[in-house]
Amino acid sequence: MVSKKVTLVNAQGFHMRPANVFASAMGKYSSNITIKFNGNSYNAKSLLNIIAACIKCGSEIEIVCEGDDENEALADAVERIESGLGE
Amino acid sequence: MLIGIGASDGIGIGRVMIIAEQSLEYTPREITDVDSELARLHDAIDKFCDNTIEQANAIRQSTGEKEAEILEGHIAIIRDPFMGGEIENLIKANQCAEAAVDQVCKMFIDMFSGTGDDLTMQRAADIRDIRDGVLGILLGVDEVKISDAPAGTVLVVKELTPSMTAGINKENIVGIVTETGSRTSHSAILARALEIPAVLSVENATTKLSSEELIIVDGSKGLVLIAPDPVKIEEYTAKRIAFLREQRELENYRGKATLSADGIEYELFCNIGTPKDATKAMDADGEGVGLFRTEFLFMDRDRLPTEDEQFEAYKQASLIMKGKPIIIRTLDIGGDKEIPYLGLAKEENPFMGFRAIRYCLKNRDMFKSQIKAILRASAFGDIRIMFPLITAVEELRAGKELVEEAKADLKASDIAFDENIKVGVMTETAASGVIADLLAKEADFFSIGTNDLTGYTMAADRGNGDVSYLYSPLQPSVLRMIKRIIECGVKENIPVGMCGEAAASPQMIPLLMSFGLTEFSVSAPSVLKVRKNISKWTKAEADAIAEKVMAMTTEAEITAYLDTVI
Repeated sequence: MVSKKVTLVNAQGFHMRPANVFASAMGKYSSNITIKFNGNSYNAKSLLNIIAACIKCGSEIEIVCEGDDENEALADAVERIESGLGE
Repeated sequence: MLIGIGASDGIGIGRVMIIAEQSLEYTPREITDVDSELARLHDAIDKFCDNTIEQANAIRQSTGEKEAEILEGHIAIIRDPFMGGEIENLIKANQCAEAAVDQVCKMFIDMFSGTGDDLTMQRAADIRDIRDGVLGILLGVDEVKISDAPAGTVLVVKELTPSMTAGINKENIVGIVTETGSRTSHSAILARALEIPAVLSVENATTKLSSEELIIVDGSKGLVLIAPDPVKIEEYTAKRIAFLREQRELENYRGKATLSADGIEYELFCNIGTPKDATKAMDADGEGVGLFRTEFLFMDRDRLPTEDEQFEAYKQASLIMKGKPIIIRTLDIGGDKEIPYLGLAKEENPFMGFRAIRYCLKNRDMFKSQIKAILRASAFGDIRIMFPLITAVEELRAGKELVEEAKADLKASDIAFDENIKVGVMTETAASGVIADLLAKEADFFSIGTNDLTGYTMAADRGNGDVSYLYSPLQPSVLRMIKRIIECGVKENIPVGMCGEAAASPQMIPLLMSFGLTEFSVSAPSVLKVRKNISKWTKAEADAIAEKVMAMTTEAEITAYLDTVI
C-alpha cells in the first residue's frame, strides 16, 4: 500500500468535469484507489463518490493505492491533482 | 402576476405549453430470472446513453460545447462503476430493474442534496434527470416532444432538465417558466446560453398556469403576467423591442475605450471573487480588476492557505488578465463568516467588531504571508494592494510597514516582485470618508466600497426590512461622503475608483463623473452597460446634474429628479 497527501489547486474543486476525467483515469488501474478526506474514504474510480465528497479548492486529501500497479496509480493521481485536473 | 427568479434577461410573450410530469410509477416486483432482468437494465442504460448522445449533439449545434458536456456527463454518471454495481446488486437480490434504479438514484439524490454545497446539490438535479430517463425507458413511457412546440410557445415545467433543453427550438420557444432552480442552476445557464427569457422558482407554475393561456415572461425582473390586457401586451412588446435593441447596441461598445460624450477617458474594471472569474472579466471586455476578493482562498477548508497556494491563485488571475491592472483586496473576514480554523469568536456586533484589517494586523504572520504572495504575483502583472475597512491612518501605516517588511524578506531570498507596487485604501467606513484628506496623503489610491459605506454611514442594515429604506447610496449623507472622498483623492493627485454596486447605477454615473471618479469597477455583465452610460454625458452635463442633486435635501427628492433626467 502506498499513499500521499496532496492539495487540490483547481479553482472549482472536484466538480463534475475534473471528477469525471479523474475517475476514468483511475479506472484504468487494477489497484484499489481511495481518496481520504475529512475522515471519510471515497472510491477514486467512482465519479459519484468523488462528487459526494465535496472537495474544494485548497483542501488537502490523501490518495491511497493498493494493488499490483499501486506505484504507477499513485504517481498518476498525484500528478493529475497537482497540475489542476486539466482545468 | 406570479413572481420568481429572473434567470435569463429579456421579455417573452407567448402561449403556455405545460410539460406535465410523466407518471413514472411502477409496482415493485420480485424477479426470479436475474440474468434477463440485468439484460433489461443494460438495454435501458444503452438506450439512455444513445438518447443522451443524440440530445448532446443537438445541444452542441443549438447552444454550445459547454452545455453539451453537461448532458454528456449523464453518461459518465450512469456508467459509473459504483452506481452500476449498486444497481446490479439490488437486481441480484431479486429486485426489479425499476426499483433498483430508483433506489440507488434516490440514495445519491439524498446524499448530494444533503451536502449544502451549491455545486454538489446541482448534481442531484442531474441524477433526477437520469433516473427519470432510465425509468421512462424501462416503463416504455413516451417522451414529450418539446421540439414539436409551435412558434410563440412559453415552456412551463417543474424543472428544466438538460435533456429537455436539448429539444428546444430557439425560433419557437419565447420564454421558460419553472418551479425550481436558481440563477446558478443548469436551467438558468442553459436558458441564458439559448438567450431565452426565463423565470425560475415560480411556485406551482404548472398548476397555476393553464395550457394555451397567453402570458408574458419578464426574465429581467422575474415576473410572469397572466392573461395580460392589450395595454400590457403593448407595453411589454415595446419593452421587448427596446431590450433586443439595447442588446445589439451594447455590442457596439465592445472593444472600445470608456469615454464620456466629450472624450474624457475612464477606467472600467470588474469585481471578481476567484481567479476563474478573471476569465469572465476578460470575456465581458473589462479593462482590469478593480476588486479581487481573496476570501475564497480562506473559506471551505480546514487550515490557512499557504503563501504558495495564494501566490498561485493571484498569479493565475494576473496571467488571465494579461497585464491589465488587478487590485487585490487583502482578507476581509470577521465574526459573521464561518471559518472554523481561524477561531473567530461570535460577536454581538460583527460589523463593528474584530474583522478585516483589524484582524489581519493582529495576526501578522498570516497577513504577511498574504502580502508576500501578492508581491510575488506582482512580478507577473500590474498588481495593486488594497486594505479593507480602514478607519484610522495608523492602520494604513501599519499595513504599509508590513508590505515593506515583506519586500525586504523577498529581496533577501532573491524573489522577484514589483518594487513600486501601489498600496491603496478601500474607503468604506464613515471614518475613512471623514479623514479622506489625511488618508489621501499616505495612500496610493482610493477605491470606494459603496455597499459598506452606505451601511456604515446610514447605520442601517439593508438586510433588515424595517430599516432598509434608509439604505440608499443616493441619501444626501452618502453622496456627501462619496464626493468628499473623491475630492480629497483628486486634491492629493491619487486616483479614486469605486467598486460597489453604485458604480454601475445609471443614476449615480453622472454624479461620479462630476465628482472626479476615474475608475468604475462593476460586475462582469454590467461592463458594456456602464460604458454606454458613461458615453451619454459630457462633463458639463454631469456637473449640472450633480450641482442640482447636491443642493437637494432628501433622498426622495434626489431619486425623483434623477428619474427625470436619466
